[in-house]
Parts: sequence; structure tokens; C-alpha cells
Amino acid sequence: MRTAAVGLGIGLALADSSVVTLALPDILRQFDVEIPEVAWVLTSYNLWLALAAVPAAYVARRRPVPAFVAGTLVFALASLACAVAPSFGVLVAARCVQALGGALLVCAALDLLTAVRGSEHGAVRIWALAGIVGAALGPAIGGILTETLGWESIFFAQAPLALLTLAGVVGLRVRPTVRPAGRPNVPANLALLLLSGALTAALFLLVLLLVDGWHMDPAVAGVVVTVMPVAAIVTASFAARLGTTATRAATGVVLVTGGLAALGVLPGSAWWWTVPPQALVGAGLGLALSALTERALHGRSPQAVHGGWTIAARHAGVVVGLLLLTPVFTTALDRNEERALRAGAAAVLDSGIPPLEKLAVAQDVLAIVRASDREVPDVREAFADRPATPEYRSLEDVLVSQLDRAVTAAFSRPFLLAALLAAAALVPIVVSRRAVSV
Amino acid sequence: MRVLPVVMAAVLACALVGAYVALGGTSYQPSPVADPCVARAVRPAADTAERLEHVLLAAADGTACELGVSREELVLALRSVDDLDALAAKTGKSQDELEAALRAGLVRAVDEGQREGLIGGTTAGSLHFAADHLPLGLLLSLLRGASSLFG
Repeated sequence: MRTAAVGLGIGLALADSSVVTLALPDILRQFDVEIPEVAWVLTSYNLWLALAAVPAAYVARRRPVPAFVAGTLVFALASLACAVAPSFGVLVAARCVQALGGALLVCAALDLLTAVRGSEHGAVRIWALAGIVGAALGPAIGGILTETLGWESIFFAQAPLALLTLAGVVGLRVRPTVRPAGRPNVPANLALLLLSGALTAALFLLVLLLVDGWHMDPAVAGVVVTVMPVAAIVTASFAARLGTTATRAATGVVLVTGGLAALGVLPGSAWWWTVPPQALVGAGLGLALSALTERALHGRSPQAVHGGWTIAARHAGVVVGLLLLTPVFTTALDRNEERALRAGAAAVLDSGIPPLEKLAVAQDVLAIVRASDREVPDVREAFADRPATPEYRSLEDVLVSQLDRAVTAAFSRPFLLAALLAAAALVPIVVSRRAVSV
Repeated sequence: MRVLPVVMAAVLACALVGAYVALGGTSYQPSPVADPCVARAVRPAADTAERLEHVLLAAADGTACELGVSREELVLALRSVDDLDALAAKTGKSQDELEAALRAGLVRAVDEGQREGLIGGTTAGSLHFAADHLPLGLLLSLLRGASSLFG
């Protein structure tokens, strides 16, 4: 009961790094901001979580229960502030405060779990798993809530759930840790940073591709991206049998790299193409994140401080991923929009529709492209009031196909860049493989 | 560190990426547009509007070839004088050079269309006059609405 409640708190706080991913298009529209700006709803939370994690851990190790309660209350109140934010600036500010509460909650939770479970090793496993499940399930839950009740409902739902976790600490006594903290495990934390940066692509870009690029219903997209957490949970259940943390981490990183590279060379624009790569990324996530977290904490005490370092590394990685991949993505989108426009113009000029109509169709399509502003246009609108002859249907299909190709191609480079980022995580793992063999 | 799980993961990852590449993953992009300097296969024209369309598309091809851009880029630039100015800047030509290329391309295509019997003498004469004498803005409006004038 206590384990479940504390685990829920960890899951909530770490899900917040990705929970609003599917809500970003709605937030973008509501506050009239650009893609690079709206990414700050994610970036601000991850940045402040990264910055606050280690200081929060030093506070949490001295008074774990009060720190958990205070962190939970701040997180819950900031969630409500996000839900009722009257402007984009207030929303981002509330996300920063939410991250401060989240950092305190997550770091204190590690010492609480150690006290509840009676074993540091068992506590670390649950702590890492709760974080992985939270981060991986975040986009799916956020997408379903956004579609059914609006993006604000994500934050409204979080507040009572966060308060529920307080049930886990009622009557719990945890002795403060006063011994000095040793140095963090730099290779393991560096690998966590690189891998988390790469995973940003899987969570952030994939959702954008499904919802904004391929016009998929956010709730359906939420279901599609559950492949990743399901694969992560399944893999995590038998991960220990694969061997040492170095083996599990390296295997996981290779799977994540392969999955991201496959997302970079999608041969079509249907959701099922994303399933095998997602399964690979999810399986890699289940193996690598828990193994690297265990590796970072192994033999290091106090746990809260070193747990704080892993949280800082992971969320700094997410920030690096967002800052690195967002401009690459927006540049690629602009370049491919031009290519799609030229391919579309060629399709109209070479089509079999009457010459008089070519100019009208071209003008209607261009008007839709111009009006779509920051979104991927739906060119089918140009054919709504036109004859359903084979020539028109054929042209419509060609234009939609060209647009799908352009959008999918725009995501290719960021996914491949993310795959490189994931592959780079192998370096610190391999270099330090002899340093720790657990 | 055990190597077998890592190798198996690498094989799985390579198999998936290889399969996606084999299925066309690296070429799933917007179709490239045709080279305007290479002659295109033309459908037989059924009526005056289609014949006039052939002439205008041939004019676009000729001009685009001369400017070193695609026909589609040129056609999209014909939306307005501003778009045409942007194309001039992109191709490194002056506005006067671009205008001259546009007028010359139209004249060439009209002459060719007349020789091939696609358009009659009256239509060819009108287009010649437009290409030689109309201000650029009016000429663009004419090209955009040419089908409705002569169709």
C-alpha cells in the first residue's frame, strides 16, 4: 500500500516530463504560439527538474517525510495553477514550480521506499520502474485526457492523485541520512543523459508526427504510443535474467538506437509502421533506464542524493534533446513544405482534370496551405465541393500522398539524430564496464 | 559483460532498419519534379483549352530551363509580382532579366504552338502582343486567366 502510493507519486512527477506532449497542439492553438515556443511547456519542466533534483535530494535526505509531503503539496498546487493558467507565460511559470515540487517528491521517495521495503536494492528497482512507467505512459494518458476533456484536465486530474500519494507516508518514520555524499557515477549519469535526450524524440516527435503530421485523433494516437510503455514493462519484468547492469544497459541502448533509426526511415505514413520501432524503443527503455539507474546508485550512499543525480541527468538529457531536435525538426518541416508544394504543383499541372479547373484547384490548395499557418494542411478540403470523377479523386490522392511524404520525411532527420544520440550512450557504458560489475 | 544479448539486439535493430530501407524508407519523400529542359510526353489535346494549356506549359518549361529552376517553382512564382521578385533573388537574376526570360519563353512557345497547329493565328497574335507590350503585372493576370479568355 505504502509502496504503491509512493510509486504513484514518482510516476506522476516523472510522467509530467511527457504527459502534455499530445496536448501541445491544443496549447499551441489556445495561446497562439509557435512550435519552438510551445516546446517550453515540456522544456521548462524538465529543465527545472534537472536543476532542482540534486539540491532537493540534499534537503530530502535530512527530512525525507516532510520533504515528500512538501514536494507533493507544491506539485499538486502548481498542477492546479497550470490548469487555470490565463496566459502562456503563467503556464510555463507554473510548470517550473511544478518541477520544483516534483524534484523534492521524487528524491524523497527513494529514501521512503528504502524504509518501506527494507532494502536499498529493492527500493531502487521500484523507484526506477515507477519512473519508467510514468514517463512512458505519460503521452498516452495525456492524449486521451486532452481528447476527451481538454488539455487542462491533465493538470486537474494530477492534483487529487498527487494528494492521494500522501496516504503512503501517514505514520511513516524514516531516519534522516547525515553521512556525506560521495561523488556521483559520472559514466552512468552521462549515459542516462544521452539516452534520455534520444528518448525525447521517441515521445515528443512521434506524437507530433501521428497527431499533427498524419492527422490522427489524439486519443487514438495515445493508444498507438502505448506500445512503448507496454514493451518497457514486459522487458523490465525479465531484464534481470539478461546479466549485469552493463549488459542490460548496452542491450537497451542498441535497441533504442535501432528503433529510432527505423523511425527515421519509415516506408509509409500509416500508424502501424511505427509499431515495430516503438516496440524496440520500449524494450530498450525498459532495459537501459533501470540498469543505468541501478548502476548510478550501486554502492553509493545516501541513495537520495545519487538518485537526485540520476534525475538531474535524465531530465537534462530531455532538455538537450528538445533544444537540439526542435530546430532540426522545424527547419526540415519548412524545407519539405516547399518540396511538397512543388510536387503538388506538378501533380496539378500533369493531372487529367480540365485545364480551367487546374488553376482553381491550385489556388484552393494554396489558400489552404497558406491558411494552415503552423499546422499541416488538410488538402482534401479543396476537393469537398468538386466532382467525384476518377481524375479528381486521383489528383486528391496524389496531393495527400505528397503531403504525407513531405511530413514523414521532415521527421526523418530528427529521428536519425536522436538515434545517434542514443548510440553515443554506449561510449560511457563500454568505457566504464569494468568499473562496476553488478 | 555478456556479449550475446547485445549482439542479438544489434541483429534485431539492423534487421528492422534494413527491412524499412528495403521497403523504400529512404525514398519516402515528396516526388522530385521533372527537369524542364527535357521534353515531356504530352497527352493529345481534346479541345482549344487543352491546346492552349500545352502552349503555356511549354512556355513555362522553356523559361524555367533558361532560369535554371523547375517549371513548378516558376508557376508558383507566377502568383504575383512579389513571388516573381523572390524567384529573381533566388536565381541571382535581375528583375529585368527574369521579365525578359518570361516574355521570350512565351513568344517561343506561341511560335512553336502555331507551327504545330495547336493554336490559330488570332490566338497566337494576341499572345504575341501580350508578351511584347503588356506590363508584367497585367501579363501575369493574363497568363493566370488565359484559359478562360481563350477556352
